[in-house]
Amino acid sequence: MHDHNHECSCKDHGQTNPLVPTMVKVQKIVDETSDVKTFYVVGENGIPFKVMPGQLAMVSHVAIGEGMFSVSWQDDDHLQFAIKRVGLLTDALHEIEVGQTLGVRGPYGNGFPVEECKGKDMLFIGGGIGLAPLRSFIKYCFKHREDYGKIQIIYGARSYDDLCFKRELFEEWPQVPNCEVYTTIDNAEDQWAGNVGFCPAYLEEINPSPQGRIAVTCGPPIMIKFVLQALEKMGYTDEQVITTLEMRMKCGIGKCGRCNIGSEYICLDGPVFNLAQLKKLPPEW
Amino acid sequence: MKVLPLDKLREALNIMANDAEVYVPMLRDDISGYFQWADNPADELALDLLNTYLSPKNVVIPQTEPMYKFKTSKQDVEITEVQVREGARIIFGIKACDLKALENLDMAFLTMGFEDEYYKARRQDLTIIAQACYKPGPACFCEGMGADRINPAADVLIHELENQDYAWEAKTSRGEELTAKIAALMEERDVTLPQAEPQSRKVDMTGVSEKLAEMFEHPVWDDLSSRCMNCGICTYVCPSCYCFDIQVSNRGEAGNRFRCWDSCMYREYTMMAGGHNPRDYKKERYRNRFLHKLQFFNERYGANLCTGCGRCVILCPNGVNIIEVIEKVKEVKLDA
Repeated sequence: MHDHNHECSCKDHGQTNPLVPTMVKVQKIVDETSDVKTFYVVGENGIPFKVMPGQLAMVSHVAIGEGMFSVSWQDDDHLQFAIKRVGLLTDALHEIEVGQTLGVRGPYGNGFPVEECKGKDMLFIGGGIGLAPLRSFIKYCFKHREDYGKIQIIYGARSYDDLCFKRELFEEWPQVPNCEVYTTIDNAEDQWAGNVGFCPAYLEEINPSPQGRIAVTCGPPIMIKFVLQALEKMGYTDEQVITTLEMRMKCGIGKCGRCNIGSEYICLDGPVFNLAQLKKLPPEW
Repeated sequence: MKVLPLDKLREALNIMANDAEVYVPMLRDDISGYFQWADNPADELALDLLNTYLSPKNVVIPQTEPMYKFKTSKQDVEITEVQVREGARIIFGIKACDLKALENLDMAFLTMGFEDEYYKARRQDLTIIAQACYKPGPACFCEGMGADRINPAADVLIHELENQDYAWEAKTSRGEELTAKIAALMEERDVTLPQAEPQSRKVDMTGVSEKLAEMFEHPVWDDLSSRCMNCGICTYVCPSCYCFDIQVSNRGEAGNRFRCWDSCMYREYTMMAGGHNPRDYKKERYRNRFLHKLQFFNERYGANLCTGCGRCVILCPNGVNIIEVIEKVKEVKLDA
């Protein structure tokens, strides 16, 4: 599954100590929903480090603490983190203003298999803040549009307000050639004319054929479990289904212990696994 | 063979401590462990104790370790890394079990992708003076975990003789250099090394790791974990347990980021913001601890993360006993 002899990548970090963050400035903050903000951060010399779609970085509100987040996009000069307000650290991050300093360290983890997916049709299924890691892969596909086939995005959230990246979702992405965006919310709302219901059911209704297609999903653990079942029912093989997992992390470099599922560390060997790999792991996520 | 007479031991430690941090098994404030030698009359040597309450892991992973300091102003943050003090370190009188645990820590902190800078700084100039174990302690089972308790690999190996003097064998060039510094205290003597008494606790690990890989969802974990109260003493005294937390302490605009020992026995260890916890119940935490020791570490690094030091067996307030766990696992009949 993971390569036990992979070369030390700490040299690529531009930091001698992989546990010490680089300072970055918050360049821009976008309110995505009432409890999600996207932070654009930039280092002294531009982008603090390069990441691949699906990789992670530790974001540090230096006086409060640090937490592991997926990088929801990188541009030439900055990194973007879409962060939901759920606890002590994210509460503090949501109080941050443009111009303030944060710490970042990384990148960590394996990222999505962008090379192996080339030439395939792509199906992305996201739930809630789970669209944040998928967005890095979706936008990567758009940036390298000719490398990928048809792109379908199914995205659900509890309510209209909880849908992240609305401008991209409703205005930009549907304009991309050969791209379909399906959105759903859990309960009917007055102003909502779209689908109502959970992601797994909507997925089965849309029913994209497994032929030549890779499915990538991220969301709350319970959603992932049902989406995986639905995809299996629809005929997707275990190698055609990719997901990204979340565990609590402190170090990001496979030392502090807590992010293991079986003998795999999510910070090193994950967070991205295909279903074949996932089935070899204990069901503890 | 070279012999360091018992009455020269303190002097020898003082000489070594001139240019190194020397860690020695001692009783300090009624707690036994590997503490830094300072020739303090209140410290009582505990070289014969099997085992010390605390393991020597604090030499390479201090219980609390500052990482960097920071100062915040309105918009800016300035950080200053805290460097580990450079220089020689010596562990004196370490036993085969703890030495094998040190090998585990080396694998965890220095291999598989990243090197841990703090660990590396403490480890790189570390001289090992090991003591052969002729009389096992009441909970010792290091042989079952593959340790060579009479002849562990070290820079210097010492053997306690019948008259309590120490036969002294330098095994490496590093060991030779150290020996040269205290050569004046030693005598050349014909010695008879003691007879090794057998270890009464036997453990046979054949097939255990492979069998555990089939037992994640076996009901035996409900039964085994029922005694555990997640107090974490096993992880605290374990020479191989290395998990850590990273935390912050601050006062006003300044503070420091530090790391400290953590324990997989605690609920917060895997509790995520938002409340999801993949190991929410004690059975899950208990299972993860034993599987990490006996299966997961094996799969990743090719070794057991238990070295048979016996500390958790003696100190668990509720009688959780890893030897019994291994036996129970072996008794389980798996469906074909």
